[in-house]
Amino acid sequence: MRAALAAESPPFRGQGSDRPDEGPRLWRGLDEIGGSTLPQRSGSIPDAAVAGGGLSRRAFLQYAGASLALAGAGGCSRAPEETILPYVEAPEGLVADQPLFYASALPLDGYARGVLVKTTMGRPIKVEGNPKHPASLGGTDIYAQAAVLDLWDPDRSRSLLHQGQPATWEALVADLGEHRRTLEGAGGRGLAILTDTVTSPTLASQITRLLERWPHARWYHPAPSGEAAALRASAAAFGTALTPRIHLDRATVVLALDADPLGPGPEQVMHAAAFAKARDPASATFLRLYAAEPTPSLTGAMADHRLPTRAARIQILAWQLAYRLGLDVPEPPPDDLPDGWVEGVANDLRAAGGSALVLVGPWQPEAVHRLAAAINARLGAIGTTVSYAPSAAATATPHAGDLTVLTTALRAGEIDLLLILDANPAYEALADLHFPQALANAGKVVHLGPYVDETAVLCAWHVPAAHPLETWGDLRAADGVASIVQPSIAPLYNGRTAVELVDALGGEGPAASGRRAYDLVRAHWREALGDAHFDARWQQALRGGMVKGTGLTTRDVRLAPDWQSGLSLTIPAATEGLDLVFRHDATVRDGRQANNPWLQELPKPFTSLTWENAALIAPETARRLGVTDGDLVSIGLGERTLDAPVWRVPGQAPDTLTLSLGYGRRRAGRVGSGIGFDANWLRTAAAPWAAVGASLSPTGRRVELASTQLHHRMEGREHVRSTSLASYRRHGDGPLVDASSLPSLYPERPRGDHAWGMSIDLNACIGCGACTIACQAENNIPVVGKDEVRRGRELHWIRVDRYFAGAPDAPRYLSQPVPCMHCENAPCELVCPVGATVHDSEGLNLQVYNRCVGTRFCSNNCPYRVRRFNFLQYVDSAEPGTSGETLAAQRNPQVTVRQRGVMEKCTYCLQRINAARIQAQTEERALHDGDVVTACQGVCPTRAIVFGDLNLPHGAVARAKRSRRTYSLLWGLNTRPRTTYQMRITNPNRALDDQSG
Amino acid sequence: MSTAIDSGTAGRKAAAATDQVTAIVLDRPVSNRWIVALAAAATATAVFIGALGYLFATGVGIWGINIPVAWGFAITNYVWWIGIAMAGTFISAALLLARQPWRNSVSRFAETMTVISLAIAGLFPIMHLGRPWFAYWLVPYPNVMQLWPQWRSALVWDFVAIACYVVVSLGIWYLGLLPDLASLRDRARRRGAQVFYGLLALGWRGEARHWQRHQSASRLLAGFAVPLVFMVHSMVALDFSEGISPGWHTTLFPPFFVAGALFSGFAVVLALALFLRGIYELHAFITDTDLDRLARMLVALSLFMAYSYALEVFGGLYTGNPDELGMLSERMSGPYAPLYWATLVLNAALPQVLWSRLLRERKPVLLVVSLGVIIGMWLERFVLVVTTLRRGFLASDRGMFYPTAWDWVHLLGSIGLCALLFLLFVRLLPLLPLFEIRKRIFEEG
Repeated sequence: MRAALAAESPPFRGQGSDRPDEGPRLWRGLDEIGGSTLPQRSGSIPDAAVAGGGLSRRAFLQYAGASLALAGAGGCSRAPEETILPYVEAPEGLVADQPLFYASALPLDGYARGVLVKTTMGRPIKVEGNPKHPASLGGTDIYAQAAVLDLWDPDRSRSLLHQGQPATWEALVADLGEHRRTLEGAGGRGLAILTDTVTSPTLASQITRLLERWPHARWYHPAPSGEAAALRASAAAFGTALTPRIHLDRATVVLALDADPLGPGPEQVMHAAAFAKARDPASATFLRLYAAEPTPSLTGAMADHRLPTRAARIQILAWQLAYRLGLDVPEPPPDDLPDGWVEGVANDLRAAGGSALVLVGPWQPEAVHRLAAAINARLGAIGTTVSYAPSAAATATPHAGDLTVLTTALRAGEIDLLLILDANPAYEALADLHFPQALANAGKVVHLGPYVDETAVLCAWHVPAAHPLETWGDLRAADGVASIVQPSIAPLYNGRTAVELVDALGGEGPAASGRRAYDLVRAHWREALGDAHFDARWQQALRGGMVKGTGLTTRDVRLAPDWQSGLSLTIPAATEGLDLVFRHDATVRDGRQANNPWLQELPKPFTSLTWENAALIAPETARRLGVTDGDLVSIGLGERTLDAPVWRVPGQAPDTLTLSLGYGRRRAGRVGSGIGFDANWLRTAAAPWAAVGASLSPTGRRVELASTQLHHRMEGREHVRSTSLASYRRHGDGPLVDASSLPSLYPERPRGDHAWGMSIDLNACIGCGACTIACQAENNIPVVGKDEVRRGRELHWIRVDRYFAGAPDAPRYLSQPVPCMHCENAPCELVCPVGATVHDSEGLNLQVYNRCVGTRFCSNNCPYRVRRFNFLQYVDSAEPGTSGETLAAQRNPQVTVRQRGVMEKCTYCLQRINAARIQAQTEERALHDGDVVTACQGVCPTRAIVFGDLNLPHGAVARAKRSRRTYSLLWGLNTRPRTTYQMRITNPNRALDDQSG
Repeated sequence: MSTAIDSGTAGRKAAAATDQVTAIVLDRPVSNRWIVALAAAATATAVFIGALGYLFATGVGIWGINIPVAWGFAITNYVWWIGIAMAGTFISAALLLARQPWRNSVSRFAETMTVISLAIAGLFPIMHLGRPWFAYWLVPYPNVMQLWPQWRSALVWDFVAIACYVVVSLGIWYLGLLPDLASLRDRARRRGAQVFYGLLALGWRGEARHWQRHQSASRLLAGFAVPLVFMVHSMVALDFSEGISPGWHTTLFPPFFVAGALFSGFAVVLALALFLRGIYELHAFITDTDLDRLARMLVALSLFMAYSYALEVFGGLYTGNPDELGMLSERMSGPYAPLYWATLVLNAALPQVLWSRLLRERKPVLLVVSLGVIIGMWLERFVLVVTTLRRGFLASDRGMFYPTAWDWVHLLGSIGLCALLFLLFVRLLPLLPLFEIRKRIFEEG
């Protein structure tokens, strides 16, 4: 039946190819198809049946279809017992088995990253990058990949609550209406709005208008994670508060001072792509990266010279650099930095001139930002590698108060009505604010958020927030480019958005309470873009994922003569005890993602830990203090203490503990609550990102942490190969590693029409882990939970191996994504007694789930250990967050869900190969290079993964494999892997007597 | 005629021997000790069966296995049990062909032990499967999809070898029992016992024709069995050495596994002989000389094991391959090193005390050594399986294996099942091969 329907549909609907980069035809504005009513209709799917009036036959079929899809997906491991019926007539625009892509944007820290949302049968199941969006360029980060699981999270808040009891939106609107009347009289006195970073033009203009109308109302937001210091520094150095915008692709020498542009953040994907471009060994220039940081970051891991140093010493480093580069700063005091380090870096920066760049992380004080701005100006870098533009965030304006001010106002009893929009201050606020206690003084608090979280339970009203994948909205990327957020499914739980809530309170006109996000966003953009051709421009914005002409223009800035007025350069007093460094967690970030099991189970860089955080400590410091991995210690700072397990990380600065935020959630949901420790407890307003003088005492107890990699030294073997740029260039044309095949007793396999192969460029890989989650989303890979990870049973098909090389106090960090190698002489195929793993004519090593009996011999015989086994029925596990319930709706219908007792592994995204093959056959053409994009390849921010047909001599993968840097992992075993690696190139400065090259 | 008088004396002696051994089955009252032992074994068996049910319902994830250590106790137990099974076949087949009459003192219970431990050994590969309900897919049976097993895999051949082995060893065991079952039938006084043994005896009347056919069948089966035991254990060895992992990938394994199996089998036979002799006062049949012979076998095999261990180390060193060298250091100094050294002590060092006649004659010493070997051989297989898997070619894929409670339940439960079957055997079937003993009495006069 399905096949018949698909055949009846016009051929151009056959857009099953997973190639999002082929122009607007591949994704569609929701307005364009019959489905335009779907996202606007109020109510979740079950409600639609009772919604009654106006439900057309077509809409009914859509709902019925979606319900069927959900019902079917719920029992994925076997067919439902009840009678099920196929479509009689397919709704327009919905072709069974054919995915549709919608351009949209997803927020991270409030900033947009352009994405294409893949939906099948009305269900968003996967997120791809939008190749045209500046913050994506086709790649995505782990958060965009994980967003689809957030959408389907069964723990999301499902109903509007008043004093903890279910209530209606109408009741809330009525309540707000009463407040409105009082506020109108008082000029808004007593009203406070608390938001996170806001880039949404609609919301920003709404709030701004409200503040104009009610001048006594106040808008607060938590201090943005680092922009504040940079803005203040810019105001002091250049006279205007602007945000630095960095262009790594134009740089040749970069110094990162506790900065992590390649680390998680709204611009990670963009910076990573630029960085990879700047370090292409085939091009004439090759960026050299220096890093000085207290704790390893993804940026530091890519550095050619990395200096682990205590956080407070970064300032001295910047000061010395400024002095050496001839800026008029006082002579810095002598220090204990390694001989010649600063001088070597200064000389290199000076030589690079305009293509040099000094970066400062958001965790550093304003003085360091200002010194860096002055150095960049001095080097002539402004305008080339760094430019200055206004911030895209509406909250980056000076008039906004932060949480400290709000807390004071709350204590003074000045707040009658507080709207908390998409923020969780009860968890995130610094400990010394005592925010939850202060909140009790507010007259009435309305909370909008996706979960009934720590804050929601303290508020009179809680409104479930709609996920960005199920509602309308708008967002701006860090460079200002605006995107319309368009839904790909109707809200699952009657979610609302901030614009709707603000409109309900302060909207003008009688229709205020009834206006939906769609109308509000459209109204805003109609105003912004003008009435002329609005519908065409709106559709264009939806299809392309961006609103044209919204990027922010950079401003010319000049270093002010008095740039150093008020610059307090101090030498940190010698402190007793340990430094504390606070960082966003590498996977769950600030804790908002804590209930996302994909992120929880993604191994964190440098530690490979999952499911919780640990206090990172240098091995030498740990040895001195007599602690080791998993020891529970009590960390004291002032009068507060926090119990945390320690984990040793080579390259951590001495006497420095890194504590990551985002854990110790009390009300995150069933997945994220009660795991890890809450580092906010030790943060104070005076020292939000770094504290000194902490103490550490072992408690004598131990905790079993779940790390996916127990061993991080290569022990003389070169799994990750690297060579210096100089030797790469010196070495003639031949391959750097002997890649010739060893003789084999087995006959050559007959070649099929295609020979699939993959090449992974270790020079480009930054080890972000996005490939792991993309693969998990694409291939229905279950989450197994902490206990199972601790047993070594995680199921990731592509893992990122981490190695430390060199001295333990200043090691080199190497990362290596490892999917199935698809060996031509595959050892796994030899030992399977039932022939469940076989080779096909196109070189794919296939796993036949139906045939597998689970002897696990194949895994034992796989030298790369890429095979994963379903030790239990993970796919139907009852553990929270591991699977089940609505999470089943996320599953990719083109990929089999595996039963327990079955081996599985990377398939090179076989379903995508077949989709492309079918597509090509439909179009009566051969498969082209680039027709097949694997999930890991599609997501990779640096395009480190290349996949394709080796039979095409000019194809991307064949070209990549001809690279002189190509080598096979465990070449000596003669497995002849189809997945090969390209070695990493380092660019050390010979002037620096440093072993870290 | 002296011969007649002799044969008369021999006849009386033979009859007395038959009486004594059949009395254990027919007349001896059930002792409290036996009841307690049976109750304990039955309880353990019940737990084992329950645990089997839980395993099949839940999956092998209840054990401590993982990636990379995807094999654990189940494979260790399998190799261990199948090794124990070897001695019975070897004693009754190889020693029969070699015309070693002393085997008769131990052959019956050794053969029984073979059958029991084979049955238990056969359970573990099925328990080990991720989807045990498809275990029959390893059998080459004709089917509509024309799917056959994957012949290059050692697991298929292992399955075939074991299937043959089960058939032949059951045959040897039952064929040997036939005349004795007839003896029991003839001496049984209760009707139930008469019918029971009568049916089992298959109409054995002791005619010359019967004896003649019995003898040729025995020799024929023995002829099958001797190469078969070598084949089975070589095949088990190939389950490992077919793999490319350092620590497994060695041509030494087939003889090494055969010797190891014989070693553990003889240790079990020695321990059982000591027990049975003590409990059922069989000193006249299982003589000190017989025990001495078993002890000497143990020393000889221990020397072969020591040689194999040395050769394993030499092989690793000789290759100079970093992976092989890494595996050596893994075994000798890795996290499971104590178990490796315990293996060497129990299997290679401890049995050497039996060189001393003084110690060899002390039954407690024999018992300690044989139990040590039984434990040592289990540890050897465990170390072999786990150390190789936990340390692969890539430095990143190190893992650890920690057994769970279920791992222990399945190991101890299988021992309980073995004990239950053996306890039933001593009360239901003759412990010693009566006809062989009678023959020996006549031959020796």
